[in-house]
Amino acid sequence: MQLNRRQVLRSAGALSVGATLAACGFTKSADTAASGSGGAGTGDLTFTTWGTDSELAGFNTAIAAFEKANPGAKVALNAVPFQQMFSNIDAQLQANQAPDVFRVDYDNLGTYAGRGQLLDLTGKIDATAGDAFTDAMWQAVQYDGKPYGMPHHTDTSAILYNKAAFTAAGITSVPTTVETAWTWEEFEAVAVKLQKSLPAKQYPFAYNWQGQGVTRWLSWLFQADGRFLTEDLTAPAIDSDAGRAAIDFTKSFFTKKYVPQNSSMKSSTYASDLFFSETVAMVFGGAFLLPDAAKLAKFEWGATYSPRNKRGGGDLGGNALVATAGTQRGDVAAKFLQFMTQQQTMKDFCVTASLLPTRKDLITSGLAFAARPELSPIFLGQATTVQPSDAKQVASKNMAKINTVIGDQLEQAFIGGQSTEDTIAGLTAGIKTALAQ
Amino acid sequence: MTLTDSLQQRSQADRPVKRVKAPSGGRNRRVREAASGYAFLLPSLVLLGLFLFLPLVWALFLSFQKTDGFGTNTWVGLANYRRLLSDPVFWRSTVNTALFTVIVVPVSMALGLGAAVLMNTVLPARGLFRTVIVLPMVISGVATALIGVLVFDQNNGIANKFLGAVGLDGVPWQSTGFGAFTSVVLVTLWWRIGFNMIIYLAGLQGISPDLYESAKLEGAGGWQQFRYITWPMVGPSTFFLMIMNVIYSFQVFDLVFVLTKGGPGNSTSVLVTYAYDNGFGDARDQGYAAAIGMFLLVVTSVFTVIQWRASRTRDLVD
Repeated sequence: MQLNRRQVLRSAGALSVGATLAACGFTKSADTAASGSGGAGTGDLTFTTWGTDSELAGFNTAIAAFEKANPGAKVALNAVPFQQMFSNIDAQLQANQAPDVFRVDYDNLGTYAGRGQLLDLTGKIDATAGDAFTDAMWQAVQYDGKPYGMPHHTDTSAILYNKAAFTAAGITSVPTTVETAWTWEEFEAVAVKLQKSLPAKQYPFAYNWQGQGVTRWLSWLFQADGRFLTEDLTAPAIDSDAGRAAIDFTKSFFTKKYVPQNSSMKSSTYASDLFFSETVAMVFGGAFLLPDAAKLAKFEWGATYSPRNKRGGGDLGGNALVATAGTQRGDVAAKFLQFMTQQQTMKDFCVTASLLPTRKDLITSGLAFAARPELSPIFLGQATTVQPSDAKQVASKNMAKINTVIGDQLEQAFIGGQSTEDTIAGLTAGIKTALAQ
Repeated sequence: MTLTDSLQQRSQADRPVKRVKAPSGGRNRRVREAASGYAFLLPSLVLLGLFLFLPLVWALFLSFQKTDGFGTNTWVGLANYRRLLSDPVFWRSTVNTALFTVIVVPVSMALGLGAAVLMNTVLPARGLFRTVIVLPMVISGVATALIGVLVFDQNNGIANKFLGAVGLDGVPWQSTGFGAFTSVVLVTLWWRIGFNMIIYLAGLQGISPDLYESAKLEGAGGWQQFRYITWPMVGPSTFFLMIMNVIYSFQVFDLVFVLTKGGPGNSTSVLVTYAYDNGFGDARDQGYAAAIGMFLLVVTSVFTVIQWRASRTRDLVD
């Protein structure tokens, strides 16, 4: 067949428009029709997560076990970088292209549940499923009294310390139980001793509130027995003696130069890197840091508990697994979530990825991380300081917006010289606005 | 021939030739030709429409809405724009963006021109120098910023180690607003000089050597040659670079986002990082982010129009 110039042009034009539209997602390709969440009937469950290599290996092992235990069920794992995880999920939810199941941190869970984006698991999981988890962790997946996810694992910060720096400063022992953790005064005394013995340009410690770690500041507030939201979660409660004490104490880290000046919340330098490079003698970090520390810290190091004040307190780290409200396979998704939080599945995942379990039975029986197993009890013990009332506030509907307020205000207090009173006022006003949205 | 005759003849010559009536079927041919023209344009128009005009109009609509990040939007009229007026971080970001532009545009152009003049002479190993200066251009903004993080780390960075080695105190690059802003400017300059140099080099190579020869014969010195020949002759390059650099500076994002995250405090927050934080950060406030984007669009458009009107002849060199 012979084609003239015009016919070629017309065909090329039609092809290019078609290709462009297909590339933009205006037409559904056979692939997406078969595997997208909108295409019911294939039984494939889509699961989006981010993760370290060991976490992804843990997920793959668990998925293989789930598929074996449920013939015919298939789970497609989609691993994405953490930085893009939630902007991707938000866009997919807007476009009705969300996965059936995704991984979410407890700070963000309330944001999704409160806006009707998650599947209410009531009636889809065993009525007694919640009994297996600690009260705090089961509270962390509740919204409006209903479970919207399963607490997959947690993590909370303890202290890693440089043994040589401690010996040089004359610090010969560290607390060995969570009950005898340093009080704030004792912790400050340790910092002062280190400051005196360390060479110039080295600092006593760094706190891990950089990056997405703003919520970790709340540990100090909880240790002072404070709250940032009222009991019914409808108003700010930071304007209190506990709030002032927590701000004053953490501000003093910068004014007294206990921490490097470039370790505030917006810093691009992570606390753990400052520890590995021996710029600081102590660092606050979760159990997930242990494999990295074992590889990167070229010196002897140990771990101890985070300080306590009126009570012990820790950050609610870790993640839940949730199903989306729009999933066509809610029952399979709920089954998958329950499977992923069974005793053996959770134990295997936590041991491999160096994370803390959320199940009571695993906390009681204990587990040993692959890296530095002897330190596991410290992190397990630290996790017991997280109380259900702390978890309830952190998992509230507007936590993500409150995080922005806390980050902005504390950055001003730590680096901008903003007074404690102005910070309390700024936090109160900001939290009030966030709650109203 | 008188002057009037001459003008009359010229005016007749300038008059358009009377159109010859098209043969039968000519109209159809013209329509077909026009259709072919549009067919050629179509792929570009579709792409521009989908990825430029549609998002632009969409963003305008979004800027009048209150959003929750999940598609449940409510119309709030000008509320987002009113919020801009009373938002101190927005104004801080605007001032930072303007300051960044005022510093980076002239300095990067001056250094680019200086480098181009050097590279246009018989500098030894100039191929090597050209490559070194242009190299940052081929590195992505994020990678450039990561290199910046290594250089300007306050405790262990190369810059402070170097200053320490020569007996100077380190600069607080990450914990003071001035230090952080300076680090962003320095990394930007390193990144942008190569592009400016390339454009200026092309401009310089288009200048006839005769002009310099004549100037030398007339006794012009090096500075005079630069001032009265080089500078006017690279006018079109300067005009082009001015527009490109100002637009780039108003849109700066990746370097700031990776290098300082807008901190410490809000001392390096710029309009695009602030819009990003609002739209895609924890706040999920895409309506407000769109309003910031619209403000940026208006400012950039106004600047471009003013610059274009003020310098419309600058792209012509006699």
